[in-house]
Amino acid sequence: MNKFSSIFENRHDYARDWKKRSGGKVLGYYCTYFPEEVAYAAGILPVRILAKHFPDDTTDRLMYGNCYVTRDMFNQFNLGHYDYIDGLVCLESCQWWYNAFDVTMQVFPNLWSHYLFTPDYPDGNRSKDVLRSELSVIQKKFEEWTGKTVTDAELDNAIEIYNTNRRLLRRLYELRRFNNPVILGSEAMEIMLANQVMDKAEANKMLEELIPELEDRAPGEDRVRFILIGSETYDAELEKLIEGVGGNVVIDDLDNGSGYVWNEVVPLKDRLMAIGLRYLGKPHSALKDNVWRRRPEQIFRLSEDFQVDAAIIAKQIYCHPHGTDMYAVWKLLQERKIPYHTFERDTTLPYEETRLGVEALIHVAKQGMTRANGWS
Amino acid sequence: MSTNQLWETKPLEIWDRAKALRAYWQQSIDDSAADTKLLLAHGNTGDVSWRDYFSNLNIIEDNPVGAMMASTSDEFSRKSRLASEVRGWGREICGYVQNCWGAQFLGYQQDGSVFPYRDLSVPFTDPCDQHTKRGQQCMDLSPIPRWGGDWPIYLGEDDPARDKELIETRVWCTLKIIADIERIFDTEFDDASFINDIKTERERSDHGIRIMNLMTKTPSPLSQKDLYSFYTLGGLTRLPPEILGDFWQALIDEIQWRADHQIAAVGNERYRYMEAHPSPWHFLKYMRYLEHYGAVCIGSQYSQMMAGSVSWNKETKEFERRVIRKPEKDVENVKTREDAVRYVLTEARGHRFKDDEYFRKNEITDFAEGFGVQGAILALWRGGVGCTLTRKEQGLRLSKMGVRVLHYEGSQPGDRTDLDEKRFLDQIDEWMECQGLQKIS
Ligand code: SF4
Ligand code: SF4
Repeated sequence: MNKFSSIFENRHDYARDWKKRSGGKVLGYYCTYFPEEVAYAAGILPVRILAKHFPDDTTDRLMYGNCYVTRDMFNQFNLGHYDYIDGLVCLESCQWWYNAFDVTMQVFPNLWSHYLFTPDYPDGNRSKDVLRSELSVIQKKFEEWTGKTVTDAELDNAIEIYNTNRRLLRRLYELRRFNNPVILGSEAMEIMLANQVMDKAEANKMLEELIPELEDRAPGEDRVRFILIGSETYDAELEKLIEGVGGNVVIDDLDNGSGYVWNEVVPLKDRLMAIGLRYLGKPHSALKDNVWRRRPEQIFRLSEDFQVDAAIIAKQIYCHPHGTDMYAVWKLLQERKIPYHTFERDTTLPYEETRLGVEALIHVAKQGMTRANGWS
Repeated sequence: MSTNQLWETKPLEIWDRAKALRAYWQQSIDDSAADTKLLLAHGNTGDVSWRDYFSNLNIIEDNPVGAMMASTSDEFSRKSRLASEVRGWGREICGYVQNCWGAQFLGYQQDGSVFPYRDLSVPFTDPCDQHTKRGQQCMDLSPIPRWGGDWPIYLGEDDPARDKELIETRVWCTLKIIADIERIFDTEFDDASFINDIKTERERSDHGIRIMNLMTKTPSPLSQKDLYSFYTLGGLTRLPPEILGDFWQALIDEIQWRADHQIAAVGNERYRYMEAHPSPWHFLKYMRYLEHYGAVCIGSQYSQMMAGSVSWNKETKEFERRVIRKPEKDVENVKTREDAVRYVLTEARGHRFKDDEYFRKNEITDFAEGFGVQGAILALWRGGVGCTLTRKEQGLRLSKMGVRVLHYEGSQPGDRTDLDEKRFLDQIDEWMECQGLQKIS
C-alpha cells in the first residue's frame, strides 16, 4: 500500500526515473477519455496531469473563470514540476482543460502536442467511426514523434496490459462491496491516482502482490458507507476527512475513479476500433452525458451494488460539466431516498465546513441504518 | 453641429423595421404556446439551417430569451435563475440559460403568461460547453425527443483526410436529426427550398461581410449597440429567411449610404475601440457614456460573426471570405438533401473546425488592425465558459500590438448580479484619462 502512496506522493520523481530507465517519452493528458493504449503501444508513458495546489501568482495573467483544477495544472508547469513532460495531448472535453492545454502550449511552445477529437455525443452511430479515424491519426503522429512503427502485436500487448490493470483495480472495488471492507476509501483512491501516473505493467505487478495481502486483512470497522460523486479528484484528502468522522467512501462515480476502470477493451481484429469502442462505452462523464442521460442510472447502480448509506457530491467551483449535471443527480438521489450532501470546493479542501456537513449527513444516514438493523 | 461635433449624424431609418421585426418575433413565441406548431428549443443548429425547412416548427433560442429577460427585468430573471439553482443547476452556468429555463421551472414568463414548453430539443455541442449541456434543462423536465450533434474539431495543421471523417460525422448527425423529426412528428422537410436556399446562400452571407467592411470606415456608420440589436434580430431570433433577406438588404443599403456620406453613428468620434463577445445587455449605456469622450465601439468578433468565416487581407485592407475546404460537388450539382448537407458542412470546414477558440484568439489582432482600433474593452464573465475563454490571452495579444486594453468583471451578460456599474464607469474614466482623453460632451 505504502508503495503506491509513496509513488503518488513522488509522482514526478517516478516519471523522471521511468524516463531514465526506459529512454521513452512522457506524454501528459488531462481527460479520462484519452485512449492510453495507443500511446503505450508506441512506447510512450501516458501520465495524467493532476492538480495540486501551490501558491499561484502567474495563472491569472492568462486565465479567467477557470476551475482551480486547471489553474493548478498550469501552475505546476510554470513551477517546473512537469519539466519531464515531452508532450501534451488535448481532447475534445471540458473547455477549461482545453484552456489549460492552450496556455501551457503558449508558455512552453516546444512541447510536442496534439488535439484529439473525442465525440461529445458518444452514443451516435458515427461516433465510433470518427473516433477510429482520430485514433489512426494520433497513432501516426506518435510514430512520427518516436520514429517507431506501432505493430498489431504492440497494440495487443498494450490492450492486454490495460485490461489487466482494469481487472485488478476492479478487484479492489469488489473488496469494497463487502461489509466492513478491508480497504478504506482513502487507501483505494491513492492507489487509483498512483496508477494513473504509472507504467501499467509495473502497476499491475504491484497490484498482484498487494491484493492477496489485502484479502488477508481483518475486516475493517463499522462505518457509514458513502458514494463520492462529482468533479474529478487529485488526492484522497476528502476520503480521509470522511474516515475521520466515522464514514468510508466505498464507491465513487468519478472520472478518474470508477469511470477509469469500469469497462475493458473487447479485443477485435480492428484494434483501434476495439479501443475506441471501449472509450465510447465507458460510464459517461458529466460532459458527455448529453442526449438520453445514462449517468444517473450508473450512479444508482453503483449505490445499490455497494450498499451505500449516503452520497457526497463534491463539485469544483466553476466546474460547468458538473454544474449542469447536478440537477439529474439530485433528482435521482431524492427519488431513491438516498441522503446526500453537496458542497463546492477548489483544489484545497475547506476542512472544517466540510467536516460539519459530513457529520450532519452521517447523523441522518445513521438514523436510517439504526432502524434498518433493528437497533435501538 | 455642436462645437465638439466632428462628423454629421443622422438617426437610423431602419429602426422602425427592426422594431417591427422584434414584435413579430415576440409574437411568434407567444403564439407558439397557443398554436399547434411544434416548439424547438435551441435553433442554433450551426452551419446547416435545417430548422427553417419544417413548416410546422417554431424555434426559440434560449440565448436571446435569457438576454432579453436580463435586460428588461432583473427581478424576474433573478427569480428564474434561483428556480434553476435550487434544482441543482450550478451558478457558473450561462445566465441566459438559467434565466430561460428557470422561467420554465416557474411555469410562467415575465408577463405572467404560461411558459411555452418545448416539444423537442436539439442543442449543439460547440463552441461552448454550455451549448452542449444546456438542452438538458428542458429535456429533463419531460421526456421530449432530443438529439445531439457532434461538432468535430481539431487544432494543428490542415489534414484533408481527417476532415473528411469529421465532416461525415456532422453530415450523419444532421441527416439523422432531420429524418427523426420527420418520423416522430409525421412532418415533412422541405428539401426543394432547402436546396434552393443553399444555392443562394453565398449571396445572403455576403451581407455580413459587406457590413463588416463598411464598419471599418471612419467615422463608424453604426454604433455597436445598433449592431448588437441587428445581430440579435437578424441572426439569433431565427426569423423566416425571406423576412430576414429583405431586412439585411435594407440595412446594408442604409449603412452604405451612411459610409459614402460620412454619416457617423457618433458625431464626435475620435477614438475607436473594440470588444470581445457579448456586453452586459442591461447596461449598454456605458457605450453612450464613452461617447462623451468621443470613443466609439466598432464591434467585436462576436457581433461580426454574421460575416461567417473571414480573413483580413493586409493588401486590399478588406475582410474576405475564407474557404479552406471546397465541396466535391459544385453547388449547381447539389440535388439531394444529403448533397446539400454535405456541401454546406464541407464549405464550413475552415470556419468551424476549431474555429472559435482558435480564431478568436489568433485573429483578434487582424480584427483590431482591420478596424483601426486604439483600445479594447474585454469583459471577464464569471458564468458560462464560451463567453470568457481566451479573453486574457486576447488582452495580452492586443496590448502587444499597442492596443490599450480595459478588462472589467461581471457574472455573465444574462446575469446582472456581479457587475458593479459604478465601478465600471470609474474604470472607463481612468482608462480614458490615462490615454490623455477628457470628456468633450
Ligand atoms: S471537468 Fe470540471 S473540474 Fe474538471 S477541468 Fe473541467 S471544469 Fe475543471
Ligand atoms: S456562456 Fe456564452 S458562449 Fe456559452 S452558451 Fe452562454 S452565451 Fe453562449
